Formats: sequence, C-alpha cells, structure tokens
Amino acid sequence: MATALAVSPNRTELMKLRKRLGLAQRGHDLLKEKMDALVIEFFEAFRKIQASRTKALEQLSTAHRALSNCFAVMGTLETVQATRETKRELQIEISSRYLMGISIPAVEFGEVQRNALTRGYSLHMTSSVLDEAAREFERALGLLVELAETEAAAFAIARELEKTKRRVNALEYILIPRLKGALKFIMMRLDEMERENFTRLKRIKAIIEEHR
Amino acid sequence: MSFKIAVIGDKDTTTGMALAGATYAHVHAAKDETLAKLNEFLTSDEIGLIFVTHRVAEELVFEFRQMMRTKRLLPLVLRIPDKTGYVPKVDELQETIKRTVGAEIVVKKDGE
Amino acid sequence: MNADRLIKFELARLNAHLPERRISLKEALSLTKPQVPTRDGSVHSFKRKELELLAKLLPEADWEKLQLPIFIALEPKLGRGAARVSGEVEAKVAAKLLGKEATGELLIYRPEVALLRRKLPTTIQYLFLW
Repeated sequence: MATALAVSPNRTELMKLRKRLGLAQRGHDLLKEKMDALVIEFFEAFRKIQASRTKALEQLSTAHRALSNCFAVMGTLETVQATRETKRELQIEISSRYLMGISIPAVEFGEVQRNALTRGYSLHMTSSVLDEAAREFERALGLLVELAETEAAAFAIARELEKTKRRVNALEYILIPRLKGALKFIMMRLDEMERENFTRLKRIKAIIEEHR
Repeated sequence: MSFKIAVIGDKDTTTGMALAGATYAHVHAAKDETLAKLNEFLTSDEIGLIFVTHRVAEELVFEFRQMMRTKRLLPLVLRIPDKTGYVPKVDELQETIKRTVGAEIVVKKDGE
Repeated sequence: MNADRLIKFELARLNAHLPERRISLKEALSLTKPQVPTRDGSVHSFKRKELELLAKLLPEADWEKLQLPIFIALEPKLGRGAARVSGEVEAKVAAKLLGKEATGELLIYRPEVALLRRKLPTTIQYLFLW
C-alpha cells in the first residue's frame, strides 16, 4: 500500500501528506452529508411522482375517451381538420433551480385552458364534443407537464446521488487508506533514521570519550 | 426561457395533444422516419418538452435509450401511455431506485 | 494531486448555488418577483405560497428579522444525521413548523430536515460548513 504513493521519507513530505489526508477526510465527511441530503431530496421527488403520475394518467385516459367520442360523433377527418385550425403555440417556461450543485429544471406555463372561442377552430363546423375533447386534453397536458418536471428532478437527483456515492467510496476505500499507509511508512522511516542517528551519535561520543 | 411542446405517437395521441396546443406532432409509422423526427426534436432549440408514447419508445428501444443517455438537459422527454393505456412492465424509476438505494420502495399514501 | 483538485472542486460545488445575500421576509413579500442573486451569477426565486406560510407563522414584527433563504447547516462536526438552523427568528419559525420549542439555535435530525424541506422547498436551502 505504501509503495502506491512514491514518497521520500522526509519531514516536508510528511507535512504534505498530512495536509492531503486532512483534505481527503474533510471531502469524505462532507460528501457523505451531501449524499444523505440527496437521499432526502430523492425520496421527496419520488413521493411527488407517485401522486402526480396517478392523477395525470387518469386524466389522460379521460381525455382519450373524450377524443374517441369526438371521432365517433364528428368523424375522424373533420376532427383532424379542426385540429389543423387550432392555435398550437402553447409555451412553457423552463428555468433552472439549483440544489447542491445540480441543475433541476422548473417548468411553468401560463393559461393552458382556453375556451371554444380562443382555440382557433371555427365554431359552426365543429360540435361541442370537440370542445370537450380539447378541454380534457388541455387538462391532461397541464398535469403531464407537471409530471415531466417532477420526473426530471428525480432522475437528476438520482444521477448526482450515484456520482456522489462513487466519490465517497473512492475516498473511503482507496485514497484515504493509501494516504494513511504512506503516512505510516514515512513516520516509521523517520523514526528509524532518528534511532540510527541517535545510535551513531552515541558511538561517536563514546569514541571521543575514549580518546580523552 | 420559453419553449414549445412536441409529441410523437399514434394518431389519437398526436391529435389530442395538438388540440391542446402542442406545436409539433409526428405520427409514428416507420422506425427510421420516427427516429429522424425524434432527433430533430431533440436538437431543436425551440422545443422544451417532448411526449413520446410508451409503444413507440419500446419499438425504438435501443436507439431511444441511447438518445436519452446522450441528450442535453433540454428538451425534457416524458413517456406517456396511448389510448390503450399501455405502460411497460419495467418501471425505470423503480429500477433507478433499486440501483441508487439498493432496495425496492413502496410509498404508502399519507394524508397530505 | 489530481485527486486533490477533484476534492476541492466538489467542495466548491456544494455551496456554489447559494445566494450572494439574503433578503428579509418583509422585503420578499413586497416584491413582485421575490428572488435573490446567487453566487454563480443567476437568481433563486421564492414561491409566494411559502412566503405566505412563513408570514402566517410569525408576528409581523419579526418579518423584517427573518432572513431568506433559511439555511439548514450541514456540518460533519455535528455528526451524521444532524443539522442546524441558526438565527433566532429562523430557528423560531423552523421550530414552529416542527411543533417544537426553540431557543436561538435549533438542532434537528434527518426526518425533521425532510419535513422542513418538503414544506419550504424554495425558502430553505442546504448550507455545507467545514
């Protein structure tokens, strides 16, 4: 383990290593805190997704039923034609929210729900089943946009969590043990050298004494 | 920043979403064509969100997964069921949880 | 040495999104777009719903004293699973949300952190200290 880091056994190296070990330990502790916080955030996002998904998918199937009804009553071609006339410039606002170094998209939009007059298709060529279908799909769209936002957040958090876990493990199982090993090695060598020195000095002293 | 919405799927899904205001729609017929359209949507600076039906995503499975892995932050992509309500058995979110947390989680409904 | 640079980079990233300065609840309520500038050059917005909740929990005299965002400080020294809310008014309002009593500083544990973040996702932020 000690040879993984080639260091010369002197005091400067000792100090440098101590500093590096301090940094690694600090990094490890803090990234562990970050990991814990990310887990909290992830669970919260997950909880929101469950609720959001059920609502959105239920509304989507309601919307599909209304559309099928529209196809049946108005006819497929007429419905599609009306769709071509609809105003299709719906805008969503996407901004970034930051959380512990990750960017999470926040999605908002203005009015999704329009009415028969503002949608764009002509009223006398269409029937109320079309309005119904459009309205249900507008509602579904609103809920699905919310779901998209929540899912994006959950996946972004999960990705960061995995990355952070990898870093914590690398520090805990690779870098820190290596640094500790190298530190131990240097300290042992320095001790040894000091003992050798001490013994040498004693011998010299003894020789000097002899020659007096 | 403002963005538009796109949808890729069957006729019902695209018609419905268009009625609700989605700007770009592609009805899936041939695999190559749809992949090209998806790529077009993914690289457009105008589009912020793409809805893709589960059936289409499953048909394009390998390329789709690759595109999701390599895409930029935006546009967001959400897979939705078509009118048959079909959802795949493998829930990616559950898979992600298993990988991240190491266990399966079932969240109880709380009274919020 | 590359490892060291990576560690320093990760540490810098922890607090990169934090606000450059905070604003009082009173000020936030008065703005049409309640937000604060962040250290990395963008803005962090507060949701009005949360500001109103905070206003309801505190007497009006305290609105000027409450600094937003409220920080949940994560410090390894506190031990894993523990966090701190500093600031008299900040601790007071956090304690109220948790149904506890507070005196100047509040030490909280993981489930309480989760609860606070759930109720105030934009007006409470994590702060890493070392």
